[in-house]
Amino acid sequence: MNKKYIKNDLLSDGYYEIDHDSGLKIFVMEKPEYTGAFAMFGTKYGSIDTCFRLENEKDFTCVPEGIAHFLEHKLFESEELDAFELFAKTGANANAFTSFDRTCYLFSCSSNFEKSLEILLDFVKKPYFTEQTVQKEQGIIGQEIRMYQDDPDWQTLFNLLRGLYKNNPVRIDIAGTIESIAEINAKLLYGCYNTFYNLSNMALAVAGNVSAEKVLEIADRVLPKEKKVSFEQIIPTEDESVVTAYTEEKLGVDITKFALGFKESHSTPLRTPKELACMNLALGIIAGKVSGLYCRLLEEGLINQSFGTEYFTGRGFAVPIFTGESNDPKKVRDEIILEIKRLRENGVTDEDFETVRKRRYGLEVLGFNETENLANALIDSYFGNFGLFDTVEAYKTVTKEEVEETLRTHFDENNCCLSVVK
Amino acid sequence: MNVTKICKGVKLGYHRTNKFKTTTMSLNIVAPLDSKTSEKALIIHLLARTTKAHPAVFEMNRALAKLYGAIISPSVTKSGEALVLSLNLVCLDDRFTLDSSPITEECIRLLLSCLFEPDITPDGFRKENVEREKRLLLQKLESEKDDKRIYALGRMFEEMCKDEAYSLNKLGTKEGIEKADGKSLFEEWKKLLFTCPIQINYIGRKSEQEITDIVKPYFEKLERKSIIDVTTEFLTESYGVNTVTEKQSVKQGKLVIGYRAGMTYSMDNYAALKVMTAIFGSGTFSKLFMNVREKMSLCYYCSASLINSKGVIAVQSGVETENAKKALDAIDHELDEVRNGNFTDETLEQAKLALCDTLHSVEDAADEVDSWFKAYCASGEFFTPDEISLLIKKVSREEIVVAASMVTKDTVFILESNGEESKDE
Repeated sequence: MNKKYIKNDLLSDGYYEIDHDSGLKIFVMEKPEYTGAFAMFGTKYGSIDTCFRLENEKDFTCVPEGIAHFLEHKLFESEELDAFELFAKTGANANAFTSFDRTCYLFSCSSNFEKSLEILLDFVKKPYFTEQTVQKEQGIIGQEIRMYQDDPDWQTLFNLLRGLYKNNPVRIDIAGTIESIAEINAKLLYGCYNTFYNLSNMALAVAGNVSAEKVLEIADRVLPKEKKVSFEQIIPTEDESVVTAYTEEKLGVDITKFALGFKESHSTPLRTPKELACMNLALGIIAGKVSGLYCRLLEEGLINQSFGTEYFTGRGFAVPIFTGESNDPKKVRDEIILEIKRLRENGVTDEDFETVRKRRYGLEVLGFNETENLANALIDSYFGNFGLFDTVEAYKTVTKEEVEETLRTHFDENNCCLSVVK
Repeated sequence: MNVTKICKGVKLGYHRTNKFKTTTMSLNIVAPLDSKTSEKALIIHLLARTTKAHPAVFEMNRALAKLYGAIISPSVTKSGEALVLSLNLVCLDDRFTLDSSPITEECIRLLLSCLFEPDITPDGFRKENVEREKRLLLQKLESEKDDKRIYALGRMFEEMCKDEAYSLNKLGTKEGIEKADGKSLFEEWKKLLFTCPIQINYIGRKSEQEITDIVKPYFEKLERKSIIDVTTEFLTESYGVNTVTEKQSVKQGKLVIGYRAGMTYSMDNYAALKVMTAIFGSGTFSKLFMNVREKMSLCYYCSASLINSKGVIAVQSGVETENAKKALDAIDHELDEVRNGNFTDETLEQAKLALCDTLHSVEDAADEVDSWFKAYCASGEFFTPDEISLLIKKVSREEIVVAASMVTKDTVFILESNGEESKDE
């Protein structure tokens, strides 16, 4: 076992990073001044992992859309008491989520932490599915899918992703479709589980009123030593061009929603903290709350307070996105593109750069308040291949020239897509 | 956590802590929910956007950005039939600024200037600002309708409380917003400032005295004379069930049920009702989750919540239209089970444990502490999470059965899918 302490003077925070003998990566952030604790147990497996084979297998398995999310639901069940029933005995509030590139199981509690952590580590490591329990879940998840189909923001995002990507599985809806989940069976679920739920592909992060010693003691007791499982994936190739520059859906909403995204190419699957910081600053300079463009569009009535920007990125995908509500999304798109051109030509002023940098730094530090955010950020940074404090540090050292470079090399207006839901 | 009076009609909710990297503060005006709600909602949005010293959105946003991205945001919440209008501040604690410069006091003064030093002309609030906020609030009101969960809950209360102020939308109405102007808003702003109860909440490292010294002069200058009483009407029981159905082109239908909880004021039998509602439908151990979702596989969510500020319980679920009746019967059945005492001692203990666990972690998040204070700012009393947790622990099985027997079904709202799937272009 290898254990090191990583601290940051600026934030006066620190955490333990442990290579546990079981093969699991463990992070513990001790916060004795808090009452409760938050734990997150995650695997680098999400909706985009659709075609894979184990090292010793001949053929690739391609699985139905939405299976990672389905598996998340099913893991809560067991032959005896299901995980929710077990957590009910400790009082912890447990949940799980599946995103594009990960599945995480979590709980928060203010007492009985040890027992709850045992339950968490145990149930995720003990799959149990039968054809019957699989069928039952199809009804519940079917309703979850229907709920999202009525969610205009969700539809705007996925229409955008389908407009940008031809093959990249990020275009698939996380929960799949009613038809695709009907194809899921126990055998397929076990296949996914045995490939991606190996401890070497997972991480545990705990933050709050806990000690690293206690967490390790429980991990020692509950987790068996696992042999690393190696697998291969088929990553579909994707060229630079978009599927369509404009997509529109009619949902009958009262106010038109839009998302504008710029397709990026990838030489590596993940963005570095410096790249993330540069992009977030670029987005802030183009159309953040302190930009001239944002304030003008707001005054002119072209956008409202729902307008925002995001660097939507994960394993194998990265899209700077502008979202909002507008009566004229095409005009908003044109204004954003014009502003990017203007910034490329004129450069960024020192004042704009400093103002946006201070704001982003402040917002970044705000994220270090709650145990939930901390555990989430620990998993996020590990899966993103960097350290928890690297993003805050990046805002300290980033230069205006680097942000100008980002403005020049990203935001290809010939490969962007505007998604509109009316 | 404590609440003290600092001057006439002004209270301070104070929680000292150094565990956060931020200061959280809110100014909360308690106003009646009435025909002037649109104006009140508009004012709080106007006040948060600009000030006399920073009259343009651009200038205000820049000023906040330079204070390390300090956030000042408006919010409007219903607390029974009180409208709580809030200006909320979150800013970096002085320890974490890049150049070690203190910013907290400046941020607090900026927040106070939003309320006390707005951009006023001889004709009231500046016309272009008013027009902008009217447009933004109208869009917010419209956009709410697109979230079917919020829409269905709002429609249920609109039907259930049609003769009570509670039926009003907290953001007002389209007509109300449209007819407001700089002058009418100016008059309403003065009313809020001079006659409404106000509570300031603070969560951070400064002492209670320091905070009082900063805020008190602003209020003393006003010389507030008479402070209004904001009350809520409690109907203890329903007189028959009203079912309302509406059709829309949605994929998933919504089912919302409203009950009268038998309360005569916001803390009346509170603990027993809270545990009762938990057993019935909040949390994964609850009857609605275990049966309507897990056993019957009818929905992804089906849960109950107690709104003690109005003495009502709401059950919300998303179901296929053809299953709405089946879900409704199942929900009725589960409530009967609670009324008949058909729940195990284990479930009772689990409900209490889950509720207390949540209560004990309130102080781990600054915004939770602020919300906790806000929930009490319209009532004369204040209880800490620990005090509530003691009450919860004492609740007996008999008290739950009695509490459940006082709960009466009032209104059922069903949002049905009209079967017309909207088509992509």
